[in-house]
Amino acid sequence: MSDRPRPLLLPALAAALPLVLLAALSLGAVTVSPLAVLRSALSALGLPARPMPEVQEVIVWSVRLPRVLAAALVGGGLAVVGASLQSLFRNPLADAGLLGVGPGAALGAVLAVNLGWAQQRFLALPVSACLGAFLALLLVYGLAHAGGRPSLPGLLLTGVAVSALAAAATSVLLVAIEEFRVRTILFWLAGGLEGRGFEHAALAAAFVIPGSTLLWLLARPLDVLTLGEEEAAALAVPVHTVRLAVFGICALVAGPVTAVAGSVPFVGLIAPHALRPLVGPLNRRLLPASFLAGAILVVAADLAARWLGDRVELPLGSVTAFVGAPYFLLALRGQEGTA
Amino acid sequence: MTTAAVEARDVRLERGGRPVLRGVSLALFPGEALALVGPNASGKSTLLRALAGLLPVASGELSVEGRALREWTRPALARRVALVAAEDEAPARLAVADRVRLGRYPYRGPLTPFTADDEAAVGRALRLAEIEHLAGRALGTLSAGERQLALLARGLAQEPSVLLLDEPAAHLDIRHQLHLLRLIDEVRAQGVAVLAVIHDLQRAAWAPRMALLEAGRIAAAGTPAEVLESEAAGRAFGVAIRGVGEGTHRLWRFEQRA
Repeated sequence: MSDRPRPLLLPALAAALPLVLLAALSLGAVTVSPLAVLRSALSALGLPARPMPEVQEVIVWSVRLPRVLAAALVGGGLAVVGASLQSLFRNPLADAGLLGVGPGAALGAVLAVNLGWAQQRFLALPVSACLGAFLALLLVYGLAHAGGRPSLPGLLLTGVAVSALAAAATSVLLVAIEEFRVRTILFWLAGGLEGRGFEHAALAAAFVIPGSTLLWLLARPLDVLTLGEEEAAALAVPVHTVRLAVFGICALVAGPVTAVAGSVPFVGLIAPHALRPLVGPLNRRLLPASFLAGAILVVAADLAARWLGDRVELPLGSVTAFVGAPYFLLALRGQEGTA
Repeated sequence: MTTAAVEARDVRLERGGRPVLRGVSLALFPGEALALVGPNASGKSTLLRALAGLLPVASGELSVEGRALREWTRPALARRVALVAAEDEAPARLAVADRVRLGRYPYRGPLTPFTADDEAAVGRALRLAEIEHLAGRALGTLSAGERQLALLARGLAQEPSVLLLDEPAAHLDIRHQLHLLRLIDEVRAQGVAVLAVIHDLQRAAWAPRMALLEAGRIAAAGTPAEVLESEAAGRAFGVAIRGVGEGTHRLWRFEQRA
């Protein structure tokens, strides 16, 4: 096991992200040369460069750009949330799903469709999904705190129970839904970024960027928390305040992200997991590296979802799960017991 | 008269409604070492945690450097009192130097970058614990003994005036136990007051002073010979204890009571 942090990894990831973004802007049903995309970008900035033909300009800047930006924000947000929760719970398997955020968001979305809101207002679906995620979180936190300060396993188990409840309610609503709407919902549950516009990217950015920054500012207390609750308290970390803050910020990031992209599993697990041996467990380095790796992962997965499907797009969540689940099983077998 | 580095006066502490400490008084001066012994559940670890400010007392008073514990802010207290537990729960991938540097948290808090002062303190702690050569290694690659030394170094990086050790040698073989106790003596020589909970009574006799806790009370206190050969010790542990040899070479034999 090589445990020396690699100082070049973070710059390498930072350099790789623009390349992946450029590839995702260029490739698709209509393939545009990356150089043409760069020239067009320069001309948009007022520099003397040649723009692309009108159709390609529309495809790259109006259709692909918001989707690619949304993908990067979704991936970055999920990975930072995953890494933070893993430090908080001192468990490499912790993920946004544990907070009940995913199932809560799904329930909110299905409700919005069922009640007809989603058809009346454009952002009704993501907003209800957000509300569903927050309500699930409040429920998890409230229930877990009902008998005083909860233990971490108590919180985790409450999260599992609330998730199961939300999933059960979602199933009931799905049965009751008109058949032609089931497809919309199913696609959303499977995760996807098809047809996401700038308003979706803006919604993700509004929560992911400040949220990730705040989590990064909490990196050091989070590091101390990984030493154990008692040691953290003895080193003057306000354990419960930090825990509540991290928990709340994670929900504020994961809720909107799930609302924008639906369920995108494994990103929050595998990005930090793969990076920890390379950059070490300290969050000041791990969180930015996770953000970049998560962004790259989801942009690439979304590109694959667009590309691999013949005529139809593959669900983004299935792509990340197809890659993530086997990786995760292998990783778990390879290093059982080393967190 | 110098001020006690740490002092407990008639401390009573309850956990879950049950009294765990009942009227404990003790004082440690700079450079002193006291071994705290006693049967299981006698309140040793509780006393240590109370002194670290982690558990509130029901009555009586705890003070550090002459100031009552409740008058200290948490970070200020963590700069004077370091608690080193028996188990290191840190992530296996954490590097030794990074682990020790987290001991500087009470000095810098969440945001202020670590300074040259912090690096110097980390360097001194690693040197004192004799693990400089392990600085870049991940904790998961260390032996139990080395890991315990890394944990001790984190405590030393806090530059405390009081070092509280809970079973510091519990998982160590005899060579590492003696090594650890020698290091603690060196720390003590720098004026740090050391209070150590030690289960192994023979090992505990390393300290010039010993206190026996039984059911939340100090049942005996004095030199190791005075404490171990007291009637209270035999009663507390439920064994017959007999001293052999003289002075610092004195050893103890423990036998089941007939």
